[in-house]
Amino acid sequence: MPRKTRRQFLEGAAAAAGACMFDIVPARALGLQGAPPSDVLNLGHIGIGGRGRGFLRPEAGVDKQVPAPANLGGDGTRMLRPARSMALCDVDASRLDEAATRVGGRPRLYKDFRRLLEDKDVDAVYIASPDHWHALMTIMACEAGKDVYVEKPACNTIEEGRNMVNAAERYGRVVQVGSQGRSQLSAWQAANYIRAGRIGTVRKVTCWHYASPAGDWTPDSEPPPGLDYEMWVGPARWLPYNRRRTHGSFRWMIDFGGGQIRDRGAHVMSIANWIMDADYTGPVSVEAKGEPPHDGMYDSAVSMEVTYEFRNPNWTLVWAQPGMPSAELDARYGAVYWGDSGNLTVTYGDGQPTSTEQKAKDFSATCDCGKVFRSPGHSANFEDCIRTREKPIMHIEAGHRVASLCILGNISFQLQRRLEWDAVNERFKGDDEANRLLSRPGRGPWHL
Amino acid sequence: MDTQQFLRDLQSDNPDTRFAAWRQAGTAPAAVIPQLGKIAASQDPGVAKAGREALATIVHSVGKDPMTANRAAAVKGLLDLTGSDNTPAVRVHAMRLLSNIAGEESVPAIGKQLSNPELREEAAFTLERIGGGAVVKAFMAAYRDSKDDFRPRILAALGHLRAAEATELVTEAMRSPNKDVALAAARAFGRTGRKPAGQIPAVALTGTWDQIEYADSQLRYADGRAKDGDTAEAMRVYRTMLDRPEEHLQCAAIIGIAKLNTAEAASAIMPKLKSSNSKVRITAATAWKGMAAARSGT
Repeated sequence: MPRKTRRQFLEGAAAAAGACMFDIVPARALGLQGAPPSDVLNLGHIGIGGRGRGFLRPEAGVDKQVPAPANLGGDGTRMLRPARSMALCDVDASRLDEAATRVGGRPRLYKDFRRLLEDKDVDAVYIASPDHWHALMTIMACEAGKDVYVEKPACNTIEEGRNMVNAAERYGRVVQVGSQGRSQLSAWQAANYIRAGRIGTVRKVTCWHYASPAGDWTPDSEPPPGLDYEMWVGPARWLPYNRRRTHGSFRWMIDFGGGQIRDRGAHVMSIANWIMDADYTGPVSVEAKGEPPHDGMYDSAVSMEVTYEFRNPNWTLVWAQPGMPSAELDARYGAVYWGDSGNLTVTYGDGQPTSTEQKAKDFSATCDCGKVFRSPGHSANFEDCIRTREKPIMHIEAGHRVASLCILGNISFQLQRRLEWDAVNERFKGDDEANRLLSRPGRGPWHL
Repeated sequence: MDTQQFLRDLQSDNPDTRFAAWRQAGTAPAAVIPQLGKIAASQDPGVAKAGREALATIVHSVGKDPMTANRAAAVKGLLDLTGSDNTPAVRVHAMRLLSNIAGEESVPAIGKQLSNPELREEAAFTLERIGGGAVVKAFMAAYRDSKDDFRPRILAALGHLRAAEATELVTEAMRSPNKDVALAAARAFGRTGRKPAGQIPAVALTGTWDQIEYADSQLRYADGRAKDGDTAEAMRVYRTMLDRPEEHLQCAAIIGIAKLNTAEAASAIMPKLKSSNSKVRITAATAWKGMAAARSGT
């Protein structure tokens, strides 16, 4: 007789007990200490290289609440719920081994993410693959019944993003996008300050960031042993293996990443969209100027300035790499919110500690700020929502809309022309070529 | 523009000179495309890049409006570059650029490449971006002429295109003894969302992932039927999902049924308000709240 999984056991017990059954089984019932086992989230991790490593929960702390660090959108005071990294997946065997050691215990190891998604014991997945996999993995995770935390930027194309939203809605899944700046205290303080009208009506938000690397000519080579390169490329255009466009460097290629605007832009502009209440809309126009690398194998913009115009309300968003840093706070990237009676700076918005000016901090310490939701931390908010089934702070529609800004900027940059955007129908007006770039059909069977 | 100087600059040793040249390629005549193909095949990666970028810039210069005067000439030049006398990298690049500007008139020429093992993936990509009835016909013709190794790719394209005209072909493909073809057909069937003339064939499923994909396909099919107003067929499929043990399939069925917003839909959801599974219960409660009018009929 096949052995029952923990979940099958609990579901069977629940069914037997009928309507009186409670959702949480006391720990003692299964002879365990600490948190009740059904209160411990079973997590799967897809992509456990640089960023994905940060989501792992060591087995040693599985039944304990742990402080959420800044790179998970916490401020060190809020706690993450008990959770177990029970399943790990990566196409690179060396990363898989390293993560297994880091987690401890006996995590289930997979090289094909579909095998992890089949695992009925996994409640939710953290996806930290390269960008070109985000959409399909998220959609397929929803199809398999998993709640999803997917790294930013949510998607590589507008079509991908809309399909992610549809998948989350079709299955009623919780999907949090990893623009964790919104969950940091300073972003909340800034949101309070600006939404309370303390700098008047905001007409302009200017983001600054340093430039993207130009790259060089590194020869293609055979993939290293242990890396399933065919799977790494997946739905993207097939290119020979090159160490300078995989793992940490993929984001300088439009096919796999899309430059700083998609990497950090998805953080800085996420806070802007949140503060400006633009999570369900988009600009009416986008115009990008700048330069690509003159040489080398990368193709995303080295320098660029992208101007987005919004209507009803009317405001302008500018992404500039490099741009004009804030005069108020010293940081490598961030945004200045320009109101008609003052301005406010918010720095970073990612794993770096987000900060804002003292006046916003002081205001938030005394105001009645109940109207602006304060996230308990990005992962904590995600894990709360798994239980409540509410939308997380960076839900997939918001993630898609922020990624859309990045994508529109890159399309305008590629085409070297101003584009008019219909944010309701998610189509460009009067530009045939630009509209074709809203979709990037997948390679082989990897289709939306 | 001094075309000869332009071509020389693209092959300069100086990357900045090459860049300045490719940036102005939009003013070059389409007649230079064959020479740009040769530059894009250069052994010097910087020069090859300049050739590729110049081709892309020409494409962007005619991309906005399909009626642009030079667009047909640019398309013809790119189609010629996909010929076998060019290097594979140049052929692939040209095919990709065609996805930006080629129209229905180019579909026969591009469709022929679906039988070319070296270029068929790129041809499928380009056709999917072009879209439209001629593309669907080209894929359907290619399906009949293809072997099983490429048929899943064609079915994926038909599904992506939501090709209603392909419903019967896709339904027939679900009967294929080849598991990969049958499952790809089921995926396409769900995305097409149209009811076939005959019975919907059952697909033999061997793995857990196949079952997940198949269930998703059924849900998409039901969504498609609901969208077309065929609520009876949608309800039939949703009810089968509602009876499944998997929590997420029950939730998906509840969400789909709630959109029908009928008294029958409300009746179907009501028992789930007492589900022992909290996710199902919460999903049902949320759906229930949004169905006030329909509930009055229960």
